[in-house]
Amino acid sequence: MPERVVEVVPEEGLHARPASLFVETANEYDAEVSVGPEGAADDDLVSASSMLAVTGLGVAGGEKLRIVAEGADAVAALDALEELLSTPEDEL
Amino acid sequence: MNETELKELIDVDLISLDEPPAEKEAVIEHLLDLAVEAGRVSDHEQALADLLAREEESTTGVGMGIGIPHAKTAGVAEPTLAFTRSSEGVDFGAMDDEPATLFFMILVPEASSDDHLQILSSLSRSLVHEETREKLHTAETAERVQEIIIEEVA
Repeated sequence: MPERVVEVVPEEGLHARPASLFVETANEYDAEVSVGPEGAADDDLVSASSMLAVTGLGVAGGEKLRIVAEGADAVAALDALEELLSTPEDEL
Repeated sequence: MNETELKELIDVDLISLDEPPAEKEAVIEHLLDLAVEAGRVSDHEQALADLLAREEESTTGVGMGIGIPHAKTAGVAEPTLAFTRSSEGVDFGAMDDEPATLFFMILVPEASSDDHLQILSSLSRSLVHEETREKLHTAETAERVQEIIIEEVA
């Protein structure tokens, strides 16, 4: 399954606007995307399409995430999510 | 946070089991009123402005029937969590289009670090479980709701 580790650039972390854009983006692709802290086991990943689950991760700026995608658009979804997380909040 | 701090955070006075208003902004004001009546808010207008500014950025309707309006604000001196629930459901603008039925408002003082985000993420982690949401819906007293929240956030 395609996956990658991405640093969260927005200073406030994965909250508020960056978090909702993250969830919206994950929902746009034909892929099941799951996410967790870097090094998280498969069982500890949560659905990237749930705002509640993503909020529950409590990710701060500068932390790294492990993102795993499965499905026809898995790689495209990972590309889009990586780009989003690599963009400072004021440029989103 | 230890248990004493959590009890202080979500005093029973901050929990209402009556049906809240049917509209998002009115629910936020209703939660804030609970905190005002409990003597937790030094600047009502400031706290409301900060809560609404946060909603402006993106909705705190996080789906699965949960709304968690929150702000760091000069309007409170101590971290404060208020709770209410609805049997009708309120449109909180969530991405999953589910009406919100459980509401938590988190206010923390300006000077605090990112306490509100920690409370927010612990709450969210526990609310992902249907069992927790069900417990909060069926609890019969404010004391029981307080117990559940303390168990889940601790």
